Amino acid sequence: MTAAPEGFTEVRLVDPFELHVGPAFSQGDVGVRRYAFQVQAHHCNLRGVVHGGMLMTLADMTLGQAVWDVTDRAHSVTLNMQHQFIKSAKEGDWIEVVPELTRRTRAFVFMRGDFTANGEIVMTTSSVWKLLGQD
Amino acid sequence: MSVEASQLPANNLPADAENISLRGFNLHAGPFYRLPDDGAVRRFAFIALDKHMNSVGTVHGGLLMTFADIAMSRTSRLATDAKSCSTISLSCDFVGAGKLGDLIDIRVHVTRRTRTLVFMSSEMKAGERVLMSAQGMWKITP
Repeated sequence: MTAAPEGFTEVRLVDPFELHVGPAFSQGDVGVRRYAFQVQAHHCNLRGVVHGGMLMTLADMTLGQAVWDVTDRAHSVTLNMQHQFIKSAKEGDWIEVVPELTRRTRAFVFMRGDFTANGEIVMTTSSVWKLLGQD
Repeated sequence: MSVEASQLPANNLPADAENISLRGFNLHAGPFYRLPDDGAVRRFAFIALDKHMNSVGTVHGGLLMTFADIAMSRTSRLATDAKSCSTISLSCDFVGAGKLGDLIDIRVHVTRRTRTLVFMSSEMKAGERVLMSAQGMWKITP
């Protein structure tokens, strides 16, 4: 189990799958919130590096929280996520991201993030979210 | 309704389904299964358990992307006989929602294989309902 890094507090996860893979931590306010996640052995693949599925799950968690923040907690669904896997990360590494709002329209939110470990980009993700009830 | 791995409705999975979740995150997120090929199409499946869900009662997007990554990575190795292949990029369209207890399957198609890369697309369904279409490329690790 991972302890919170200094200045971070544990994110209150509610989705069963996120609780299953967590914990995650955050610091800062809406728009500049930074997330941190420590890679554990059960997040890795046979080569001993963090599994792409875990990184994509982290992207869904953190960019989804950011969408929730910028829409003042509107209900939304993920329409598309695109990931580029730049570099590997290993057990014990901290993965960090500050989600960036690309654009918000009435019905859509475009959100992206650079996921880093030890100051280097591990994965970049861009995503499209649909706000429910908006045409 | 609650579904645990030990209560899997065995008749939902074909008898020849092979458990491919042996270690690491694949095991933590699984179990996932390989199904017999359909010609050149590689097929995989899993049953949506409680741990796979989100708080609004649908299968979590991160788990669906994990399943796509595992199925397409395995296909890249099957297509190349490489020991290891690395995901370079993956794009996932979330077309529909999966539900607790669904038998979810994926069909993976190799679009092109070069000396160093495998290009693939996949379609994930629960019965006739499409949940995700994904495409991506994998690097063959020498």
